[in-house]
Amino acid sequence: MTTESKIDPIVEMVELIAKALVDNPEGVSVKSVDGDQVRVLELSVDQADLGKVIGKKGRTAKSIRILLGAAGVKHNKRFSLEILEP
Amino acid sequence: MPVQPWNLDKIIDDIDEFLDAVLDTAGLDLDYEIREGGGDSAELISPDLTVDFSGDDLPQLLDRHAELLLALEHLTLEALKISHDDRYRLLFDADDYRVARIEELRMSAEAAAEKVAKSGRPFHFQPMTSRERRILHLTLRDNKEVMTTSEGMAYGRHTVIYKADKKP
Repeated sequence: MTTESKIDPIVEMVELIAKALVDNPEGVSVKSVDGDQVRVLELSVDQADLGKVIGKKGRTAKSIRILLGAAGVKHNKRFSLEILEP
Repeated sequence: MPVQPWNLDKIIDDIDEFLDAVLDTAGLDLDYEIREGGGDSAELISPDLTVDFSGDDLPQLLDRHAELLLALEHLTLEALKISHDDRYRLLFDADDYRVARIEELRMSAEAAAEKVAKSGRPFHFQPMTSRERRILHLTLRDNKEVMTTSEGMAYGRHTVIYKADKKP
């Protein structure tokens, strides 16, 4: 039996946004860590691209979190974003 | 600095590609229409393109001072790597929310300017985003009785109106 792993839309969402923001899309990876209440999306990017995903005054990261909040309402889940230091 | 013409077709394609993917993966039930210009009521800020949303999730889009609408606008501007000086050329709106806010800011700028011109005392607005402060500045640009500046740092940055001859 083959297990077909469907790509999770929320992982895909964070990944496609991050890839659009950075200079090096190949350095982007997103891992989803499931908790009881909250699902944490762990985003890693190249050191040089950290500022791109965080943004001035943290506005870009905040915008991704707002979008995750809205997606959470639609998916009946709570999502949180963690940006990992490379 | 001269304003460079935008390759609108390219920008519209890029917005489409990014927004479609984001809305689809987020599971948001929103449609949008991209049109050139900003319509009569956005005349003051005259954007080159307006992205106008509709759909069942409109209430969610406009909830909490339209934070989701503004987040989508911000992420799209960043994703398209639109330079800081060109950000005002793109406006995201839904149900004329932004247009109504522009009108509200325009009216408070004029009321405050009148007060300052009479009393000579400066007027400090609440902290606002750069886009909103820009609307205050633009409204009073041709008003000879007052002048405007922005003061304070980061989230505390706000517009101040001074009587024209009293700016410190």
